[in-house]
Amino acid sequence: MLKCKDLVALSSDLLDGELTLKQRIAVRMHLAMCVHCRRFIRQLRVSQRVIRQLPDQQAPELETLLRAMQAQQQRASEPDQGDSSK
Amino acid sequence: MPNEQDLIQRLLKGEQAAYRELVQQYQGAMRAVAIAIVGTASADEVVQDSWLAVVRNLNGFAGRASLKTWLLTITANTAKSRLRKQRREVLLDDITGPHGTIDDARFAADGHWAQAPSLWHTDSPEALLNEQALRDCLEHTLATLSELQRSVLMLRERQALELPDICNLLDISHSNVRVLLHRARLSVFATLEHFEETGEC
Ligand SMILES: [Zn+2]
Repeated sequence: MLKCKDLVALSSDLLDGELTLKQRIAVRMHLAMCVHCRRFIRQLRVSQRVIRQLPDQQAPELETLLRAMQAQQQRASEPDQGDSSK
Repeated sequence: MPNEQDLIQRLLKGEQAAYRELVQQYQGAMRAVAIAIVGTASADEVVQDSWLAVVRNLNGFAGRASLKTWLLTITANTAKSRLRKQRREVLLDDITGPHGTIDDARFAADGHWAQAPSLWHTDSPEALLNEQALRDCLEHTLATLSELQRSVLMLRERQALELPDICNLLDISHSNVRVLLHRARLSVFATLEHFEETGEC
């Protein structure tokens, strides 16, 4: 029988669909009987979605980067002056 | 992918709006790859160099791989060439976040919960993230994870990469990716649980 502790150890693999068929059946049976583990898995999925939706910390130097890329791009479109200058 | 082809055509024409779109869309994923390989301190430089390499090589993008895979491969290569030989060996660090993890202490000797997970006041990520203090708290937790744990978590959850892609980009085994991901997720879970219980970080 799968213990709660074992279920927690398998929880990430459950989220990622990495369980074997045997494990999947054992997990399903455990969850059917165990309210604590059901709550754990449900809230683990919530925390997964929280990380997905956590606002991005925008890289501050976007404009500088875009200018550098533009310069690079112009160099690349003028033959004989690109990487061969080195 | 028709949208991708369209974007590439616009990039090849040198359309600035297309470059902006590209950077905004993929910068985060590239940063996560760079951090995992060279660490936070050099990551921004690696990302910048990678973007310049992208611009230089755009003509050669054959479209065999997805645009994202191509961009992340360039980033990984740029990062690795900077890394030289001093690859960090401590892959399987067991660093946990500031609020711990779900470890043995939570279970009785028979393997059942000794201290079961507490019920959160909501299952809605939006509702949880409404609170600035919680957002800050999560940032704090992410910042205290190891760089590799954090990157694997970001690549999986935010960039939706498949595990084999993460293995390839970061040169780590499938089982190590799973371990790192699991540890990172449990640290995040522990932070949310702690915040739900105490209302503070
Ligand atoms: Zn259980």
